[in-house]
Amino acid sequence: MKPETVLNADVRFTLNGKAVAWLGSPAAPLLDVLREGFGNTGVKCGCREGECGACAVILDGELVNSCMVAAGRASGAEIVTIEGYKNTPGFEILDRAFAGAGAVQCGFCTPGMILAAACILRNNPHPTTEEVRKGISGNLCRCTGYNAIVTAILAAAGEGEGKW
Amino acid sequence: MVSYLPQSLSEALELLASTGAIPYGGGTDLMVEGKNDASYLFLHKIPELGVIAGDADYIRIGASCTFTRVADHPLCPGILKEAILQIAAPAIRNLGTIGGNIGNGSPKADSALIFFVTGSRLRLVSKRGERIIPIKDFYLGRRSLDLRPGELIAEVLIPKMGYDRYYYRKVGARDALAISRLSFAGIIKTQGDRIVNLATAFGAVSDVIIRREDIDAMLIGKTLAEAKTVRDNYLAAYAEAIVPIRGRVSEKYRKRVCMNLLRDFLDTMNI
Repeated sequence: MKPETVLNADVRFTLNGKAVAWLGSPAAPLLDVLREGFGNTGVKCGCREGECGACAVILDGELVNSCMVAAGRASGAEIVTIEGYKNTPGFEILDRAFAGAGAVQCGFCTPGMILAAACILRNNPHPTTEEVRKGISGNLCRCTGYNAIVTAILAAAGEGEGKW
Repeated sequence: MVSYLPQSLSEALELLASTGAIPYGGGTDLMVEGKNDASYLFLHKIPELGVIAGDADYIRIGASCTFTRVADHPLCPGILKEAILQIAAPAIRNLGTIGGNIGNGSPKADSALIFFVTGSRLRLVSKRGERIIPIKDFYLGRRSLDLRPGELIAEVLIPKMGYDRYYYRKVGARDALAISRLSFAGIIKTQGDRIVNLATAFGAVSDVIIRREDIDAMLIGKTLAEAKTVRDNYLAAYAEAIVPIRGRVSEKYRKRVCMNLLRDFLDTMNI
């Protein structure tokens, strides 16, 4: 058996551009690994069962709920959390758009929403309102309200040509 | 506990036979169980399980293909895409796999409903070889599958023919992130005025998805006009066949909605 086949307390992946190794259980949720193992507390824990999207991160370019990913599944993958995404030109545009539209109230859903928005705009730089709503349909917000968030993402789309 | 990341199917089958690790497709059902010390056999690196291809009779979808991939793929049939795009939300569809949806064994599995109604087959592989069986035979009862020790779900084979028109409805509490309270799929193929194939399936009702070829046979071979004359008998047969098990939503409600959807399917298809 090739050594890379056995995941025994050594899961290596790229976190926000940096090579890291997780030394705990390969079955642990990536959510806990990112928050407790690597201090990425921008990854929020809302439900632990894939129902809220607060823990969303980008895994090899796709939005995933990190509570639904075992650490071993991330072996060899590139993970981007809000801590990494905040250093991009796309973030600057979304940051301004969310502030401008009043799309952040308590902020708990915001890291997941921003990453969901980034994935929507990367796949489809000029989405319709309906496409934005479908794109964030797995991200629950309980206080700001979706209209402001949708407005913000559409505003970012108008401004962000080529930045996603 | 040790987990495994096999790079080929033969390596995975070797490990499955020797370690007892749990096959891990997309993880979206397994992770809800919260077993931090589980031993997993991660399947996503195995090239053989990630292929979508067509042959003369079937569209073949590898077990590790995610819902997102299937929904985006030009070869996959419309009825399957429609059902898949109503599963959960993008961040779940990017992980969840076809093989996992089937292997979880739930009668609420939205992709499995489509495999039942289209008469799809499963290719199961082990160190000893492989076998191909109709999906209906794979589900033996509540959470009970005809999956032998050391066997993995490798592929689902969807017939290319037999469903010119289809009807699909999922009833959930809301549009996104909603488990099916009930689901229904119907397909039909006609030649001129004659029904050459017709199939229906009901999800989230019983221990296993309901697929009654014997009842649907009442309409096959008839013209649409002839089918209308036996419509009442057909509906009566289903009224007897559908016996919902206890669930989060009342049995009475689910039965009524099943019958309403079946009637609407017949109306839509002019029967």
